[in-house]
Amino acid sequence: MTAIQQTPASANLLEARGLVKDYTSFRAVHGVDFSIPHNCFVTILGPSGCGKTTILRMIGGFESVTEGTITLDGSPLMHVMPYDRPINTVFQNYALFPHLRVKDNVAFGLDIKKIGKSEVSRRVAAALESVKMTSMAGRYPAQLSGGQQQRVALARAFVNEPKLLLLDEPLGALDLKMRRHMQVELKDLQRRLAMSFLYVTHDQEEAFALSDIIIVMNGGRIEQIGTPEEIYHSPTNTYVADFIGGANLLPGELISVDSTSAKAVLKTCIGTVETECSKTVSMGQPASLCFRAEYLSSAKPADSESISFNAVVSHVIFQGSTKLVEAEINGQRIIARLDHETEAAVGESIALQVSNAKCRVVHGSPVKPEDAP
Amino acid sequence: MSSAAIETKRKRTAFGLTIPTGLFVGTFCVLPLLVLFSYSFFQVDFVAIIREPTLDNYNRILHSGTYMGLIVKALVYGIGIAFLCCVIAFPLALFIAKRVTVYKSALLTLLLIPLYTGDLIRIFAWRVVLGAEGVLNSLLQWMGIIHEPLWFLLFSPFATVVVLTYNYLPFMVFPLWASIEALDDSYIEAAMDLGSRNLGVFFKVILPLSGPGLVAGFLMVFVLVVGDYLTPQLIGGSSGVTVTSAIHDMFGAAFDWPTGSALAWVLLACMTAFVAIALYTFYRSPWGRGIRGGRR
Repeated sequence: MTAIQQTPASANLLEARGLVKDYTSFRAVHGVDFSIPHNCFVTILGPSGCGKTTILRMIGGFESVTEGTITLDGSPLMHVMPYDRPINTVFQNYALFPHLRVKDNVAFGLDIKKIGKSEVSRRVAAALESVKMTSMAGRYPAQLSGGQQQRVALARAFVNEPKLLLLDEPLGALDLKMRRHMQVELKDLQRRLAMSFLYVTHDQEEAFALSDIIIVMNGGRIEQIGTPEEIYHSPTNTYVADFIGGANLLPGELISVDSTSAKAVLKTCIGTVETECSKTVSMGQPASLCFRAEYLSSAKPADSESISFNAVVSHVIFQGSTKLVEAEINGQRIIARLDHETEAAVGESIALQVSNAKCRVVHGSPVKPEDAP
Repeated sequence: MSSAAIETKRKRTAFGLTIPTGLFVGTFCVLPLLVLFSYSFFQVDFVAIIREPTLDNYNRILHSGTYMGLIVKALVYGIGIAFLCCVIAFPLALFIAKRVTVYKSALLTLLLIPLYTGDLIRIFAWRVVLGAEGVLNSLLQWMGIIHEPLWFLLFSPFATVVVLTYNYLPFMVFPLWASIEALDDSYIEAAMDLGSRNLGVFFKVILPLSGPGLVAGFLMVFVLVVGDYLTPQLIGGSSGVTVTSAIHDMFGAAFDWPTGSALAWVLLACMTAFVAIALYTFYRSPWGRGIRGGRR
């Protein structure tokens, strides 16, 4: 959020307009528009095969652009060779040159630029210092752990001071503990370098932890662009709500939509609800009611601001301080994250309630489990 | 079964599997070579072999300008033609590995076809091409570029180099192709991403990382060229005397098996020394990282 507010009024760093990528047999990217502000951590989030890596590769210059434009600081980028773009990439498999020592890997880009030798070694040392790899400068990549290789790959890219750093699922190969650790370091690094990062991942948790802006993609199209808070609390459609996870989606019948106040009335199996709706909701189109598992609570005395209903418990999963209760109502599955003291037994009825304000009407039908990624 | 017993059984099985190869190589290769080795210490008196061990044969060869000249010539041809093959094969291997997608195996098979036809046929085909009345001379004369046939085209060192290079090119293309094929595209992309243009990418990344294939191909072509005596003899004319043809003559016409086997062993020693030095140098060089990985 803060990064967006700090962004000067000047134009964005990178603008993509109507971006299309066709391969011989299929269309990978279906005309997407997005922008990357200066000094901003932007993440493209989506399942594998959604076109996110293709977009990254088009920006890096490794794939041609079929249609549309990409501009960097206002100048078109489509016909610029990768080596002439002020952009660097951290590859998914790091692509560290196995025949070069760590310091020579990091110096690779600077050596080409004909900078003085002392300047090169000063900048290499500074880059290695900032990823805490100074002691490894003389090693070969194969002598490093995955996390260390990752840091070297990062240093090798940002030492060239690119205007934009592209990162293609760079944490994918690391174990969970290392990933968490690197997430913090990545975010910290982006702030210190005051550089824009474009990050690609299929891991929504990672996207939330790192990003100023998240672009949610599916099937070569952008589903939603927003801050992590917006994506989490106000998904525009069932796909985004479902992909982010932990959301209950109930199909319903639209009674009315008021686009000026962005409110809709939806009739569902738990009752008729009047609540906030996303802009894409309109009469005649499918719509669903969305509320997160943690917004449900076991029914206290009902109040007018909440919807109460009874459902039959089908599964209970113990999760320490909370328990995840799966219940069914009229054939619809509802997941509730309840306090661990709540009594819930499989096969018995449980009274649940959710505050009206926590519900949201979104576009689309619920994603069926077999369609889910 | 205890783990020690399993381990023993495993070792025995592994050993057992190598027995047929071991027996074959031992009987038909190592044993004759040893017999040959023992002959190199004998002397010949007209048609009789005198079985008294002496180092005379080696002495004579090492101090003979002719023999040592022939060995040096063989090594120079081997290294030179292996180098020529590298230069010609690299673009081809790179093209097949990184640009061709659909017809990859077809192209590779095409490369092998000349090998199916046999040495002699290929050599005589080249005589048809390079001869005074040959295809190339006739064509050049018809086009008016030359008025006399070019005599150096056939029965010359030039002809030998051309035909040897042609003959052994596939042995360079295949290992090179294999190692370039195994080279991940992301290394090439990373080099471009960091500002390398085409030549930079080639010399800084592709060449060092295809080192193993380069060395394998180089040594294969080297060994085959040194051992080839048909091509120089049939194509090289008066320049066609090679150390292998000298060895051949010694065992045949001259009936001097001891000198022949001593010469063969000196050649073998020189080649082994060259291959060992080449491999060691490569292994210790930064390019050897391709094979060594991170191990010191």
